[in-house]
Amino acid sequence: MAPLLETNGLSVHFGGLAAVRSVNLAIEPGERLALIGPNGAGKTTFFNLLTGQLKPSSGKVFFKGQDITHASVFSRTHMGMSRSFQITSLFPLQSVMVNAMIGLQGVEKSRYGFYRPMFKDKDLVKAAQELLESQELWDLRDEIVGSLAYGQQRKLEIGLSLASQPELLLLDEPSCGLTMVESADITKRIKALGSKITVLMIAHDMDLVFGVADRVVLLHYGEIACEGTCEEIRQNAMVREIYMGSRKQLGGK
Amino acid sequence: MSRRFPAANMQNAAAVFVIAVIVLLLPLFLPTHWSSLVAKMMIYGLFATSLNIIWGYANIPSFGHAAFFGAGAYSAAILVLKLGITSFWLGLLFAIVVSAAIAAILGIPAFRVFGVGAGAVNPIYFLLATIAFGELLSKLAITIRPVTGGSTGMSGVPRAHLGFGSAINEEQFYYLVFGIGIVCLFLMYRILHSHYGYALRGIHDNEKRMQALGYNTWLYKYTSWIVAGVFGGIAGVLFCYFGSTVMPNNFAMATSDISFLLVILGGTTVFFGPLVGSIFYVGIEYVASIYLQERWPLIFGAIIVIAIMATPWSKDRYKGLGPGVLLLWQWLCRVVPRLWGRKPAQSVPTGKGV
Amino acid sequence: MSQAVVTGLNGLSYAFILFLLAAGFSLTFGVMGVLNLAHGALYMLGAYIGMQVIASVHQFWLAVVVAAIALAIIGYALYWFFLKKLYNRVPEQGVLTIGLALIIANVVMWIWGPRAHSMMSPHGLTGVVHIGSLGFPVYRLFVVGIGVLVLALLWYMQDRTRVGAIIRAGMDNKDMTVSLGINYGLVSTFVFLLGMALAGVAGVIGAPITGAYPSMGDNLLLLTLIVVVVGGTGYIQGTMLGALVIGLLDTFGKAYIPRVALFFAWVVFLAILLLRPSGLIGRKVF
Repeated sequence: MAPLLETNGLSVHFGGLAAVRSVNLAIEPGERLALIGPNGAGKTTFFNLLTGQLKPSSGKVFFKGQDITHASVFSRTHMGMSRSFQITSLFPLQSVMVNAMIGLQGVEKSRYGFYRPMFKDKDLVKAAQELLESQELWDLRDEIVGSLAYGQQRKLEIGLSLASQPELLLLDEPSCGLTMVESADITKRIKALGSKITVLMIAHDMDLVFGVADRVVLLHYGEIACEGTCEEIRQNAMVREIYMGSRKQLGGK
Repeated sequence: MSRRFPAANMQNAAAVFVIAVIVLLLPLFLPTHWSSLVAKMMIYGLFATSLNIIWGYANIPSFGHAAFFGAGAYSAAILVLKLGITSFWLGLLFAIVVSAAIAAILGIPAFRVFGVGAGAVNPIYFLLATIAFGELLSKLAITIRPVTGGSTGMSGVPRAHLGFGSAINEEQFYYLVFGIGIVCLFLMYRILHSHYGYALRGIHDNEKRMQALGYNTWLYKYTSWIVAGVFGGIAGVLFCYFGSTVMPNNFAMATSDISFLLVILGGTTVFFGPLVGSIFYVGIEYVASIYLQERWPLIFGAIIVIAIMATPWSKDRYKGLGPGVLLLWQWLCRVVPRLWGRKPAQSVPTGKGV
Repeated sequence: MSQAVVTGLNGLSYAFILFLLAAGFSLTFGVMGVLNLAHGALYMLGAYIGMQVIASVHQFWLAVVVAAIALAIIGYALYWFFLKKLYNRVPEQGVLTIGLALIIANVVMWIWGPRAHSMMSPHGLTGVVHIGSLGFPVYRLFVVGIGVLVLALLWYMQDRTRVGAIIRAGMDNKDMTVSLGINYGLVSTFVFLLGMALAGVAGVIGAPITGAYPSMGDNLLLLTLIVVVVGGTGYIQGTMLGALVIGLLDTFGKAYIPRVALFFAWVVFLAILLLRPSGLIGRKVF
C-alpha cells in the first residue's frame, strides 16, 4: 500500500541554523506514529513543514501520492490533513459552540454562505452538537472559550482538529500541560479513533507514546536518529543516551 | 437551542422594532432641521458600521475608509452633475460598482503585499497604505478638475429623483435615508451572522487556526474589504445628496477619522455599536456647532482620546457605548415587567454571542 | 535654468526640514514602537513656541533650544500619559495620536489665533547671496547647513557610538536586547526625546520659510510618512535619501506641474510600498 504521507529529503534552515535536515519519513494509512525527541529537536518545525505553515528550503512532501510541497495551508486541510497545536490555538472570544461550528464548516461549501444565519443551519448545529458531545463539551457550549479551564481547552483543541474529518491527524503534544488523569483521558481518546484516521503525533509523555503508537521516530538535531516499534525504542541505547536522565520514564510501564 | 424564539432575542427584536418605528415617525414631530440631524446620524452610522465589518469583525484596521465614502459620493455627484443622469437609483448603482471596483483594486496590494493579520510583516505597513489610499484619491480628485471639480469639489447636487414624480423634498429624503439605511444594516447584519460572518470572527481571533481548518483567509479578508467598501460607498451617496456637495475632503483622513472614531466610540463587540457612536457623535457635533464652533476640532480630538483611553478593551475588541446601551436595555427588560408584577422573561443562552 | 537652480535650493531646504521630521518619526517608531501621527502637530507647536520666544526676547538660538526642550517634555508627557498604555497596539496609537494632533492644533489656534504668523529670518541670516547671476536666500542655505549638521551628528551616533549600537540591536530584537542587561529603557527614552526635540528644531527653523499657522503640520505629517516609507527605517542615510527624493519632487512638482505634484508623491509612496517595502535604504524592521 502506498504511504499516505511521505517526505523526501525535507530540510529547512533559518539563517545558518538547520532546524530540519533531510528527513525521509513515510506514514502508512491507519498507522499511529509518534515523533519524539528532546526540546529543540525540530519536531514542531517538521509539523509546520507538513502542514504548510513553513516552506521547506529543500525536499518534498507528498500526501496521497500528490506533491504538496508548495500547497497552501488551507488546501492541505481540504485534502484531508488536519492538525492540533501545542500552544492551544482556539477562538478565545467566541463561545464553544461557535468554535465548533467554525471548525466544522472549514471544509464545507457552506463556509462561503453569505446570507443565511449560521445558527439556522440545522445540519451544522447538529454536527456541532455531535462533535461537542464526543468531547464532553456540550454542556459548556455557551461559555466563552477564553474563560474555559485549560483541560477543556485542550479537549476543544483536539475536537477542532477532528472537525474536518481528516485522514491524517497531526497532533502536536496533545497532552501538554495536562494532569495525569486528563492525560490518560486523551490517550484513551486517541486510541479510540477509528482506523480510518492516521495519526502522527509529537509527544513528550511516554505513557501516551507507548500507549498509542505503532511506530516511534526519534528526531534529534533535526534528523531522524532512529525509529522502530515501541519495544525497540524502549531498548535502544541511543534513545537512552539522548533522553539521559529520563531513563526511569522510559523504563516505566 | 430548544426553544424556537428565545426570550432574549424577542426582547432585542422588540427594541429594534420600537426604535425603528420611533425613527420612522420622527419627522412628524420634529422640525426639519432636527430630522436632518437624525438623517446624518443614520448616514454616519451606516458609514461606521461598514468600517466595523472589517475593523471590528475581521480585525482589519483601516485609516482610509473614507476612500470608499468619497468614491460613492463622487460617483453619484459626477453622474448627476457631469453626465446629467438624474435617477437616484442609477447613481446608487453606479456608486456601488465604482466603490466595489476601487476596493477590489486597492485590496490586492493591501492584502497581497502589505498584509494584515497572520503572516503580515507589521500592521504599520497596512495602516500607512490605507492612509495613502484615501489621500491618493483625494489628491486625484483635486488633480482631474474637469471631472471632479478640483479642490473645491462640486456643489449643487440636486434633490434626488426616484424615477416617479418630481424630485423628493427634504422630508421624503429622510425616509429614503431611513429605507436605504435599514436595508443596508439588515444586509450587513445577515452577512455578519452568516457562515461567512462567523468566519470573519474566527479570523479576528486566530487567523492561523482558520487556515489550518481549511479557510482561505486571504479571500475572506479581501472580500470583506470589498463588502465594507460597497456599504461605505452607499453611505457616501447618501451623504452627497444630504449635503448636496462633494469635496476632496470626503476621501481624506479627516473623514476617515470620523469613521473609526464612531467604531471605537460605539464599540466593536455589538453589531449596532457604531450606530450608537454615530448618534452620540452627531449629537455632540450639533451642540458644538451652536455653542463652540471654533473649538470643535478640540472636542473631536478629545472624544477620540477619551474613547481610546477610557473604553476598556480586551483582545482587540473595544467595549464602547454599544454594550452599555445593550446592558441598559436588558436591565429595563428585567425591571419594567416587575413594575407590573410580572415575572421577567428568562433569557435562554443560545451560544450565539453577539 | 537659473530658476531651476533656485528651485533646487528651495527643494533642498525643504528636504532637510522633512529630514528632521522623518528622522524623529522613525526614531520614535524604531525604538519605542510608537506610531506618532501627532508628529506634524508637534512640529507646528515647535514653530509657535519658537515664534513666541523670538517675539519676547529676540533670540533665535534661544528659541531653537527652548522649542527643542519644550517639545521633548511635551512629547514625553504624551508618551507617559497615553502612549505607554498602548504598547504594541499600533492602530490604537495611530488613532490616539490623530486625536492628540487635533487637540494640539486647536489649542494653538486658541492661543495664537487662526491666522498665519510670518516669522522674520534671524539677524545675519537675511538677504540673498549672489553667485553669478543667481540669488540664493541666505536663510535657505542656513537651513541646509543645520540639516547637514544634524545628519552628521545622527550618522555619527548611529555608526560610532554605543547608543547607536543599542538602538540597532533593539530594533532587531527588543526583548533580547533588554534581557542582555542593557538599559534599553534609558536609551530608548533618550532617543524618543531626541526625536521629539528634532521636531521642535524643525518647527523653529522651518517657520521663517513657511510662516506659522495651525495647519502647517498636517500636510507635512503626510509627507513625513512618505519620506519614512520611501527611505526605509533603520538607517539615517535612508531617511535622508527619502527626504531628498520627496523634498525635491514636491518642490519641483509644485513649481512646474502644480496640481499633479501632490498626487505624484503618493504614487511614489505606494510604488515603494509595493516594490520595496523596506524602502530605498533600510531594513525590514519597520
